[in-house]
Formats: sequence, C-alpha cells, structure tokens
Amino acid sequence: MSLLNELEAVKAGALVAFGAATDLPGLDQAKGAVLGGDGRFTVLLKQLGSLPKEERPAVGKALNAVKVEIEAALGARRAELELKAALPTEPTDFTLPGRRRAVGRLHPLTEVTDDIVRAFRKLGFAVADGPEIEDEYHCFDALNTPADHPARDSQDTFFLDAASRPLLRTHTSSVQIRVMEKMPPPIRIVVPGRVFRRDNADATHNPTFHQIEGLYVDRGVTVGDLKGTVEAVFREVLGNDVKLRFRPHYFSYTEPSLEIDFTNALVRKLGKEWLEIAGCGMVHPQVFENVGYDPEVWSGWAFGFGIERIAMLRYGITDIRLFYENDVRFLRQF
Amino acid sequence: MKVTLNWLKQYVDFNWTPEELSERLTMLGLEVEGIEKRAGEFEGIVVAQVLTRDKHPNADKLSVCRVNDGRGERQIVCGAQNFQAGDKVPLILPGAALPPKPGEAQPFVIKVGKIRSVESHGMMCSHEELGIDPETIGHRKEDGLLLLKADAVVGQPFAEYLGRSGADVVYDLEITPNRPDLNSVIGIAREISALTGNPLRLPEPALPSGNGGPKVDEVVAVRMEATDVCPRYTARVLKGVRVGPSPDWLKSRLEQVGLRSINNVVDVTNFVMLETGQPLHAFDYHLVGKSESGVPTVVVRRAVSGEGFTTLDGTVRKLDEAMLLIADPQKGIALAGVMGGQNTEIQTETQDVLLESAWFHPTQIRRTSKALGLRTDASYRFERGADIGVAEFASRRAAALILELAGGVVVEGVVDAYPSPAAPKEVTLRHRRVKEVLGIDLQPEVIECHLQQLGLKLTSRKPRPVDAEGEPEPVTFQVPSYRVDLKREVDLIEEVARLHGVDRIPSTTPRRAMGEHPYDSVYDVLMEVRRLMAGLGLSEAQGQTLVNDAAARLVTPHVVALANPLSSDMNVLRPSLLPGLLDTLRHNLSRRSNDVQLFELGRVFTATEGGPKEGWRLAIALTGARSPAFWSGADREARCDASDLKGLVEEFMESLGVRGVSYVRRGEPGSLFIESAVVALGGKLELGQLGQVQPSLARRYDLRDPVFLAELNLDLLLAKRNPARSFKPLPAFPASARDLAMVVPEATTHDAVLAVVRQAKPSNLESVDLFDVFRGRHVLEGHKSMAYTFTYRAADRTLKDEEVNAAHQRVVEAFKATLKATVRE
Repeated sequence: MSLLNELEAVKAGALVAFGAATDLPGLDQAKGAVLGGDGRFTVLLKQLGSLPKEERPAVGKALNAVKVEIEAALGARRAELELKAALPTEPTDFTLPGRRRAVGRLHPLTEVTDDIVRAFRKLGFAVADGPEIEDEYHCFDALNTPADHPARDSQDTFFLDAASRPLLRTHTSSVQIRVMEKMPPPIRIVVPGRVFRRDNADATHNPTFHQIEGLYVDRGVTVGDLKGTVEAVFREVLGNDVKLRFRPHYFSYTEPSLEIDFTNALVRKLGKEWLEIAGCGMVHPQVFENVGYDPEVWSGWAFGFGIERIAMLRYGITDIRLFYENDVRFLRQF
Repeated sequence: MKVTLNWLKQYVDFNWTPEELSERLTMLGLEVEGIEKRAGEFEGIVVAQVLTRDKHPNADKLSVCRVNDGRGERQIVCGAQNFQAGDKVPLILPGAALPPKPGEAQPFVIKVGKIRSVESHGMMCSHEELGIDPETIGHRKEDGLLLLKADAVVGQPFAEYLGRSGADVVYDLEITPNRPDLNSVIGIAREISALTGNPLRLPEPALPSGNGGPKVDEVVAVRMEATDVCPRYTARVLKGVRVGPSPDWLKSRLEQVGLRSINNVVDVTNFVMLETGQPLHAFDYHLVGKSESGVPTVVVRRAVSGEGFTTLDGTVRKLDEAMLLIADPQKGIALAGVMGGQNTEIQTETQDVLLESAWFHPTQIRRTSKALGLRTDASYRFERGADIGVAEFASRRAAALILELAGGVVVEGVVDAYPSPAAPKEVTLRHRRVKEVLGIDLQPEVIECHLQQLGLKLTSRKPRPVDAEGEPEPVTFQVPSYRVDLKREVDLIEEVARLHGVDRIPSTTPRRAMGEHPYDSVYDVLMEVRRLMAGLGLSEAQGQTLVNDAAARLVTPHVVALANPLSSDMNVLRPSLLPGLLDTLRHNLSRRSNDVQLFELGRVFTATEGGPKEGWRLAIALTGARSPAFWSGADREARCDASDLKGLVEEFMESLGVRGVSYVRRGEPGSLFIESAVVALGGKLELGQLGQVQPSLARRYDLRDPVFLAELNLDLLLAKRNPARSFKPLPAFPASARDLAMVVPEATTHDAVLAVVRQAKPSNLESVDLFDVFRGRHVLEGHKSMAYTFTYRAADRTLKDEEVNAAHQRVVEAFKATLKATVRE
C-alpha cells in the first residue's frame, strides 16, 4: 500500500477516534495514538526521509495537509469536550435557599434615636450627653424642682447606696444644666440618653428607658421658635402628614410649659384623635439664674420626649419590655 | 379631679357641647383624661305646661291638648281627667322610655303615633307610670296625671325638678401640681369664666345672727402653737344638728365624682372641699376636751415623738415631733391636714359639731403624709398648696349647708385664728416681655384684660402712663391668694399665652446656627461602632441597666448598689454588659432560638474610691451555629468557637483603627470564664477580655452550646484609635512565597513564632500567614505542626531566588535555634 493511501487511512482513523473520545483524557489518548512519538501519523512522517527524492515534495505536502486537518479536528473536538466538562453534573436549582451571610441589625431604639438626632442635626444641633448617675442638684433643684416639690412625685427616683445620695437621672433634662454650667450661650444641643424611674415593669413601663431632649438658648427666642422647630423635627421623624397641637401644661423648669399632641393617619387608625407625644416650654428664668445666665438677655426653649414611645408608634409595638428582652426574632425585624 | 358639666354650670354660663368643653379645658392646660356620660333618671321627661285641652273628636274619654315643653308646642292625646289648661305636668318625649317596672323586660318606649286617628307627640305621665310615690316628693296622690307645683320651670328636666341627678357628663381632669386652685369646681369654673368673659357666680352663704345664744368664743377656743406651719385656723360650732343620710342631690353629686356618701354632715364637708378646694373637718363637739377654763379648746401643736394616735380609718399611727397634730388639752383629735381622729368622729348620735377650716403648710403635710404612707383628698390638696384666703368662706358655706340639710343652729361668729395675715403678692409685668417670650404682638389692654379675667387686680393707676419711647410703663398686679403658682413675670406671661391660645401663636422657621458639644463626635463614633458590628453580622441588643448583684459580681466585686431597688433582680447598676447578655441568651434559648450572635453598646458603672464611675463598653455574645442554616456542606453544623469571637474582635479593631493589640491568655479559669484572654494594647493597657463561659455557669443560665463573650472598654478604644488612613502604592514587582512547616512544642504560641520572625529580621519579608495547625499522626505527642507562608517582595525590583532563599534561611535557623522546631523544608 502506498504511503499516500496509508495516510488517508490514518486520517480517517484519527477522525473516528477523536469523535469517539467521550472526555478530555480519552481525547488525549487518541491524540497520542496518532501524533505521539510512536503515533501512526508520526510513523508515516518518519518514512518521508526514505522516499525517493522526487516523491518527497508531493508526499510532504500531503502529510502537511493531513496534519493540519487532524489538528483542526482535534481542536474542535477538544473545545466540544471542554464545554461538556465545564457543565455541572446536575443543573442548579435556583429556587433553593442560598448560603446566607448574616447582616446584623441595629436595635430599633438605636434606629429611632438616630433618626431623631439626624432631624435635629439638620437644624444645626450638636449631640450632647451627661452622666447617668446624677446628683439631686442637677436632676431636680437646678431645674426649679426643690425637695418636697409635688412635681417630684411623678418621677420616682432610684438612689444609690452612698452617703452623698447620688441618683439615677430621671430625665435627660439634667444635661441641660450640665451643659449650661460649662458653656456660655448660645446653646444648641440635642441629648439622647437613658433615664431611670422606679416603676415596675409592665407593658408601658420599664425602669430603664430612653429620652431625647432639645435645648436652644439664644437672644430673642420665642414660643413661636419653639413651635417651629418642634414641627420641623416631628415632620422629619413622623412624616409630613403629621399635625401637632400644643396645649398648656406644667413642668417646673419651663414657663410657659406646653404638652404636644400629634395626629396622623396612624393615630386615627388607632381610633384616637390625638396622642400625647412630648413636653416642652420656654426655659424658666430661675433655671437660667441657677446656671448664671441672665434671663433678661437670654431666652430659650427645651423639649423632650420618650424614644420608646416613638418606636412603639412607628413599628406598632405594644409592649415596652420587648425592647429589653432582645429576643432575636424581635431584633431581626428592624 | 372629677367634675361634672352641670356642676360647673352652677357657677358660670357657657353654651359649649360636652365635647367642646373638653376641648376648651384641654387647651387651657386642664387635660381631660376621661369623659363619661351619665344617663340620668327620667331621661327624656320634662316639665311641661298644658296650654289648651279639647275633647278628642273620636273618643269621649280622651282629650287633645296643646302642651308647651319649654322648646315649643306639641299635640298630646291624653286619657286622664284630673287636669286643666295651665297645669304643669311631667311630659315624656318621643324616643324616651318610661322607667322600667319591676319584672318588665323591655322598657316602654314612647313613639309618635295616632290615637283614634289623632297624632300624639309624647305622653303626659301619672305617678304610677313614673314609678314614684307622690307623697315622698311632697305632692298629692290622685288618679290621673301627676300635677306639679305651680312654680315648676317649664322645660326643666323632670329629674332636676325632683332634685335628682339628671343626665350629666363627668370629666376626669389631670390637674398639674402647680395649680392647686384647680382641684375645686369653683377653680375650674373660674377658668371658664376667664375664657368666656362670663361672670363667676359664687355661692353667698349667709348665716343667721343675733339669735341671742352664746357667742362662738364662749364655746370654743383655739390655741396656735405652730403658726409657722399652721398660720390660720378657723372654727365654727353648730348645735342640735340631726346627723342622717344626705339628700339625693348631694349623694349623687359625690358619687358622680367618686366619693362615697357617709352622712349629711361629713358629706357637706366633702362637698365644700370639692367645691372650694378647701379641706374641712367636722368634730363631734362634745368629744373635744376642755381647758382649765372649762371651754372646749383646740390646740394646734406638733406631736410628741412616739405619740400614738388612732386615725378615722382605725389605724394606730406612731407620730414624731415633725408632725402637726390638732389636739385638745388632753389628747390629739386630728392628724392636721391628713385625717381626723377616731376619738372625735361624727356619729349618728352627734348633735353638736365643731367645724375646722384651716391652712397647713404644703411641705409639712407632704412630709407627714409620706412618712405615714397615708394620702387623703385633704392631704393631696394641702401639700399642693390650698388657698389661705378661702378658709373662712368655706367654713361659712359648709355651716349654711349643714343648717339646710341637718337642721340645728349655728353659734354666732367664727373663731378665725390668723395672727399675721399674708400680704397679697404683687407681680410686675413689662408688656414688651410678652412679645419677647411668646413672639406675638398683643395690645397692652388685651394683656391686662386676660390677667384681670383670671382675678388678678391691677394696682397701677389708669390711664396707662407711657415712657419716653412710647412703651407702656410696667404694670403691677395683685395676685389672688388662690393662685399660689403666680410668682414672677414669666408666670403672668404664661397666663396670657393660655388665654390667648397657644395654638394661635404662629410657628416661626427654625433659625440656622451651629451648635457644638464635645459629645457630638463621640456620638458619631458610637454609631460607627454599632454599624461595624452590624456589618460583622451581629444584631444589637439593649439590656437593662439594673441587674442582679450576684450576676454583677461574676465580673467584678466593685459593684454600685441601689439604696431603694424595686426587687433583688435589679438591685445594682451593671458593672459590665456581660451579665445582661447572659440573661438575653437565656431568654432566647428558652424560646428555642439557639443561635444567637449579639452585640451591645452601653454604659456600665463601677465603684471606685472616688465614687461610682461610668464608662462605655462594647460586648459580644456568641452561641450556637456559626452560620445561618444551610442544606449542604460538611461545616454546616459548625458551632461558634473561640476563633469566631477572636476573628470578630480582630476585624473590629482593625476597622476601628486600633493597632498593636495583643491577646494574653489567662493562666487560670475565673468565675465567669473557663478560658479567657486579656485584650491589651502595647502589652500593658487592658482594653477588655474575651473567652468561653464556664460550662457550669452556662448551665445555670440554661445554655447548652458553648458560649463566648467579649467585652471591650470603648472609652479606651476611642482614645487610642487612629482612624486616619493613608494610601500605600500598590506593589509594582512580583512577590516570592516560601512555605514552611515545623513541629514545635504545644506551648509555642503564634505570637512567639511571630516574635522570632521579627527578631530574625529577614530582608524584604512582606507578610507571614499561618495556613495550617495540625496535631496527630506523624506529629510527636505534646507537639503540633504549624505551617506558614512567607511572602517576600521588594518595592523596586523583582527579587532573585538566591536573595529570597538567603533571607528565608535566617528565619528557618532562628526557628530551629529559638523554638526548638523541627522544620520540614
């Protein structure tokens, strides 16, 4: 049989063998059998030198053409098999739950506090704080609530077991005094913080809870300014459809004192006309005198409210104790 | 304070609906906490007058009448015969029901209907239909209609005609502590009077005089021995009083506002207290002891320490010398301003009454009431500040009512011990301050008018003088004695705001300005810490500040205790966030949430020599599954371990910008941790601790899986962090890596390995990373295999193999020499 005939047979055999290979190792094996050191094509190629000189160019040309053809076939088959190998053995079920990475959640009280702080900061307020362990002077006396004042009744106080009778602050208003004692007016602060009252825990009470308080002292501050700022803050926090109502009330450290009711779709859904939300008022001149500000020159307002109450309204939470139990099923909802 | 609509209307006119009244009071600062509508007796039955009476066209025994019901005329068909035009009769209006008869299931409701084809708009009633016995109300018993007295007011509710309680609205008002004057019906009526401008109608009790009997100072004496706390004491005496049940109107008044009727004399004292705000007390005159002169004598004195006294409620009270006692020369007879004594109580057989109306100092009453744990309607009013000016009026009012309801005679005159009457307070107002505080322009006349309507008296001369700038001169007001809250100018401005209406003060746009406070930036860092922790997959907890003493002592003995805890569960301030987190874990596990990964940021309190100290802490708690549930993979069951905790702390520290942190293992287990490490900075400064909770402790908290806790001192972290970042150019030349595995004694720590590397100072070393720790087969007992990748890189060229090998060899030699390591190269 002539070498050329043999070459045709080798080519045909190679193409069949490549087609028959079902995976990449199989293809490699088939390739070795043809193009390897002892491969059938290599053997033919080695015979080229023994051919008569005049036959060599034609055979060499044929050999080359076959080699190109074989390699092309090999390449094509390899691409096919590589694609086959890359396919997953089983199709992916994209409806299966994925492998999750947990993202932690901030506590709802933190979220609400930060929203309120942000609303105040937009108006130029700086965040301030003071100690949670207070003395009677800063918590009561300086706020125009001397001992034996009936206003102390509503703020049953925890005292520490120490001779100087330190106490746990019953409101963030003590920070007003701390700040005004240290800094000259004008003052523009917002004070979020923990406060404490000696109430047994129930659905609406916890001995620990949070308040936030705004204080603004400047020249020529009026009740109108107070109302304007309170409205701006509550629109941010409770939404633009919120309506506020101010009515006279009593706090020993403000005069006039006002309570703030609000209403929006949520309140009406609860079947109420108004819900009490905050207390406020113009800083009492006695308080200014206590910190050494001249009430004839400086005036100001303060307002404060409970953070739990806002959070309960916002999320529809009906039991304050949930905030302090830290049930993960609760925390993951915010 | 409870008050009713009809009661208020006795003192002032207003034509608001019950809802409007509620709104008005609320906007005046008297928050209405509850409204209760009470249906009265004889609802829908009014006094009516027969105008004409004609025969019914279709029935002999019936008549057709035109009747005036007070609002207009109605046609009524009637079967009774005993009346004529001009008579006044009870008329029940359509829609109303007759009082139910015994055994009657459905009340009989009157409708507009035709009787023998003539329309009847209501029904005139007989006494049987009304279910009353006419003789008990002073009327004749006769067949047919109940004929009313000629002076009956047409249109008046029939219940009112009878003196019984008609329909009414009871308001429950929140009275703020600065306004004791509003703990009285007259006080509230005065507010309405000020708002409407309608006059206040005060009762004008007049007592008979000149009856020839003894004068009051012949029958009673008052000795004032404590004028500092009782500056005024009045006494009246009534004789021949018949103690008995109160009339219906009085009973129902008291019951409507939540008081129990006792007897006519006691009820009158309570009624007058509610009406005027002045607590009164009635003694049985004959039980009050006499002085040597033979006159029953009231002594206002301080109690003797240890003195026993039995109050009206039958309780024996032990008094001290700070308490004020109303006594006679022999014994105490009342705990001043708080509660009367059992020994002089009004009883059914009491005939002569001694009536006390006095003023006691608020602090005095408050302290006594607190010390004895005894709060009464009287003490409540005195401790907030009663009206020293009203004492005599209230006594006179009560005496007149007792005469009316219980008969008897009043001994002429009153003992009014008031040695130094208080001068009326005066407060000066500068009109411009109203604008400066409220932000509204009000005419001086308007301002003054508001204040005068509240009972303040202008003492300055009119017409108003004006100063050089055309500003009105300040005006001075005399403050009535009942307004104890009006002390300075701003208090008057508040009154102006109330009467003008706070809702009518326009809001002004917030003025922009920069506030400042050192805490402002701290707040930002605390929020950053929270967000970092949340980003690391932990949810935020907020625990109680108050915790149990034993739990607190797991962490430190320096615990700050409460003097007045609510319970032993919460008797100290948390010295650490960890006890609270253990509670939180227990709560979750008891609810079958077994996988908990939380952080908390909060304040803690520790006792120090200089007193309690507050500080910010960050704590982490891990237990249960490491990752969220998944349905495949070998490590899906993996539980949290110490490395999870360590990894969180490392990542957190790096993100926060705290560098140079070391973790030093504690040699011995403690009460909290079975195994733990101190987190330290620069090898010295303790930043916190982390570790695994003692299994025995975990069991006490019902925790099953291992529990890992960490706590860091945020104050220190914030002081030591360096959040500044600077860019390092990305490497331009390739790195060469050399892996190294070595067997070292078990006690060799990773830190020790790194220390050796640092000491060896191999040139161009970029990083050292641990990639395997192995114990077991082929590793000697008491040893472990540690495998590291060393990465070498130069900033300015590609390193040659020989350079890297030489550098790496230094490390290998150092390990062999210092760590006694067998290096597998």
